[in-house]
Amino acid sequence: MPSVKSGTRKITIEPVTRVEGHGKVTIKLDENNKVIQSRFHIVEFRGFERFIQGRPYWEAPVLVQRLCGICPVSHHLCASKAMDVIVGVPSDSLTPTADKMRRLMHYGQFFQSHVLHFFHLASPDLLFGVNSDPLKRNIIGVIQAFPEIAKKAVLMRKFGQEVIHLTAGKKIHGTGAIPGGVNKHLTSAERDELLVGTPELNADIMVAWIQEGLALFKDYHLKNKEFIDGFAAFPSNYMSLVRKDGALDLYHGVLRAVDPEGKKIFDQVDYQNYADYISEEVRSWTYMKFPYFQSLGMEKGWYRVGPLARLNTCDFIPTPLAQKEFEQYKAYSKGKPSGSSMHMHWARLIEALHAAEKIRELLNDPDLISGELVKTGVRMGEGVGLLEAPRGTLFHHYRVDPNDQITMCNLIVSTTSNNEGMNRAVSWVAENVISGQREIPEGMLNQVEVAIRAYDPCLSCATHAVGQMPLEVVLEDRDGMVLDRKVKNSNG
Amino acid sequence: MEQGHVNLTIDGKEILAKDGQTIVQAARDNGIFVPTLCDFRSLNPAGTCRICTVKVAGRFVPSCTTPVSYGMVVENETAELTDLRRALIEMLFVEGNHMCPSCEKSGNCELQALAHRYRIVVPRFPFLFPVQKVEARLQHLFIEHKRCIQCLRCVRGVKAKDGHDIFGFIRRGSDVRIALDVNDPDAVSEETAKKAMEICPVGALIQKRVGFKVPIGQRKFDRKPEGSPS
Amino acid sequence: MSGQRSNKKIILATTSLAGCFGCHMSLLDIDERILKLVEVVEFDKSPIDDIKEFSRMCDVGLVEGGCCNSENVRVLRDFRRHCKILISVGACAITGGLPAMRNGIPVSELFEAAFPAGSIPNDEEIPMLLDRVYPCHEIVKIDGFLPGCPPRADLLWEALNLLVAGKSLSELSFENVRYD
Repeated sequence: MPSVKSGTRKITIEPVTRVEGHGKVTIKLDENNKVIQSRFHIVEFRGFERFIQGRPYWEAPVLVQRLCGICPVSHHLCASKAMDVIVGVPSDSLTPTADKMRRLMHYGQFFQSHVLHFFHLASPDLLFGVNSDPLKRNIIGVIQAFPEIAKKAVLMRKFGQEVIHLTAGKKIHGTGAIPGGVNKHLTSAERDELLVGTPELNADIMVAWIQEGLALFKDYHLKNKEFIDGFAAFPSNYMSLVRKDGALDLYHGVLRAVDPEGKKIFDQVDYQNYADYISEEVRSWTYMKFPYFQSLGMEKGWYRVGPLARLNTCDFIPTPLAQKEFEQYKAYSKGKPSGSSMHMHWARLIEALHAAEKIRELLNDPDLISGELVKTGVRMGEGVGLLEAPRGTLFHHYRVDPNDQITMCNLIVSTTSNNEGMNRAVSWVAENVISGQREIPEGMLNQVEVAIRAYDPCLSCATHAVGQMPLEVVLEDRDGMVLDRKVKNSNG
Repeated sequence: MEQGHVNLTIDGKEILAKDGQTIVQAARDNGIFVPTLCDFRSLNPAGTCRICTVKVAGRFVPSCTTPVSYGMVVENETAELTDLRRALIEMLFVEGNHMCPSCEKSGNCELQALAHRYRIVVPRFPFLFPVQKVEARLQHLFIEHKRCIQCLRCVRGVKAKDGHDIFGFIRRGSDVRIALDVNDPDAVSEETAKKAMEICPVGALIQKRVGFKVPIGQRKFDRKPEGSPS
Repeated sequence: MSGQRSNKKIILATTSLAGCFGCHMSLLDIDERILKLVEVVEFDKSPIDDIKEFSRMCDVGLVEGGCCNSENVRVLRDFRRHCKILISVGACAITGGLPAMRNGIPVSELFEAAFPAGSIPNDEEIPMLLDRVYPCHEIVKIDGFLPGCPPRADLLWEALNLLVAGKSLSELSFENVRYD
């Protein structure tokens, strides 16, 4: 509800709901109800990268994942990848068993996280409408009004969580990935539980159901073209991991960035050198920073990550059903990158299908059942882990001293990379939906959140905030006038 | 009565013990569970943790150091003693920094297992959040002072091949800290680190670079909760 | 679910303070049982719906996460005022958990490691950090505790069944309790 203050009128949306973590939006209006400022504030700060210092390096994968309860596996695996480098085993030279167990864990997580986001968090807006009754507009409402859809969504998430449970040891915050490998196999009974399962719950059913989910979205898209194509649509740069041959690869690869036209900004980058490509900016009104490509500078160098970005950067998807969907998706935007925030839901479902196909493929591999679990090599002092989390590119960078203690930790989490994108989405809604309106009903405020939700933000992840990145600091007064600008490079 | 045997009752149950045994040993031999923490198999008991406290003739005594005597009447599983033991475990938790979620001893930890057996959900005392540095300079051993419960098992039980003590302790009371001689090659060997980690009931003595090699489900207390019949 | 006092639904509110949302995700791990849950439970203020303010008293409040900043304290006190029974869920709410690893480190050091001198974010819209992380029961009275990181779904299901039946959490079987 609008809160009246002397001078400018301010609307506060707090907390942003149906997202993970804590965020709030403030929108300032002048006497003519024109929007003069809109901001998406991240209100938490944990200091994680400071208090992990001194811990033994093998604790990191188990500790770090507790930044987030939806995507702990992302952090667990990414930290493990960094620690692989530390123990002298680069991530593409793990044993086949370790690589495949980790990939299975990762795809299981992708499946459950994407399903959770689309069905449990975002779908109420689509199924009921963005202006619908807020008391119904949630997963409980979906369960009551669309029980068949809800049941499938619940079971799909259950499947993904069970994949994680069997590979990591627990559904949430497991210990499966360790420096240099993994700590367990799948037994053949466990494998069968997933592959063959029950008539209601097995890998084939998952592939079928997620395709139904895609059909649901495409049907909605057909009936709401303007909304899906136009809502919070704007161009940007995009970044993600891709396989060396340009295929979508969610677990390992090289870094690629493209501009709004699809032209490559950088490609085939070894992510150990990420700090040469990306810097972060601080703003006074939020604890989350704003990363950007150094080569383009702060104004033009901001970028988006996540499903939208990944389908904009990759050349093809290496599983057949998802590839077919990808071709249709690409054809829709005539081969160019899509900038529509709502297309993220489409991209997300295509990725979920890809994950389901990969799970089914991996479950047929005997390397999961037997084989060496761990390797060691020459101990190093520094390592970077990088992978595509459901929400976007995730960076973990550690330094470890000869006593095995962590001395430095820098994390750039996916949602941080989307900070500017989310703020622009909020501004788009503020300017196109709210600005100039004399009355602002709840549905309009929900639309601000719909824009944020499309990014599937993981705000708990984003708020650990420490780092020795090159930093640029902009000091503004309350009217947004730039007072000062300071740059700190990686030498301090 | 046979030569060298002693009759006593524990919680009303008559048992037979060998002369010279402690109450704990007698209980174990007769399948009765008495919780212990600083006690360790073959070692002489120390009585530092007091978890094994029982009541004899109206007095609280540590059952690990108290010898049995003929006709002794011991209270073990009473509401009063259960609460006392619970309080002791809670005190140990709040004095240290016991972060089960990220501790590699979780699942193999005797303090954790006892807390579970005594159905502890939250300590009644405020958390102290002590600030203590880890000792990380040894090649094979990590000493996490924040998790040490000062049971002195390591001091009593980890010996070099020629029998000399490896671990000692400095200071007194709740400030007791485990220490060792870094110039002693036996003290800093990998073998010592392994023995130390095995003997330590909690995650204070950690052999380096082992970490989370044992998956969840295969740890000691995953298979069998504390206090189960052996 | 059985043993209800009446046909009226239990009103449930949930929040995550300085938590990672893992406890909420573990709640969703009750899977299909959620279809039964919604027959006996009505959700009020919760991150999974769009109810952002309390408009009435709730029967049960589930709090995940400890108190890290001033906003966490405000929300926790709001929950205490509006919930007849308030439960701390998970290691963070009960012991401070992972965020409490910062206890003992001066707040200035936490900030200085993240932001260059003179640039620490400071705005009326973002809350102030507390001197340390506090478990919830050090701020308000808490009526029950569900340990775990996160508490297992079966434990949360067991607890919800007890609460809906008007029973005390002291009747928990404990077989589903873990501390990690």
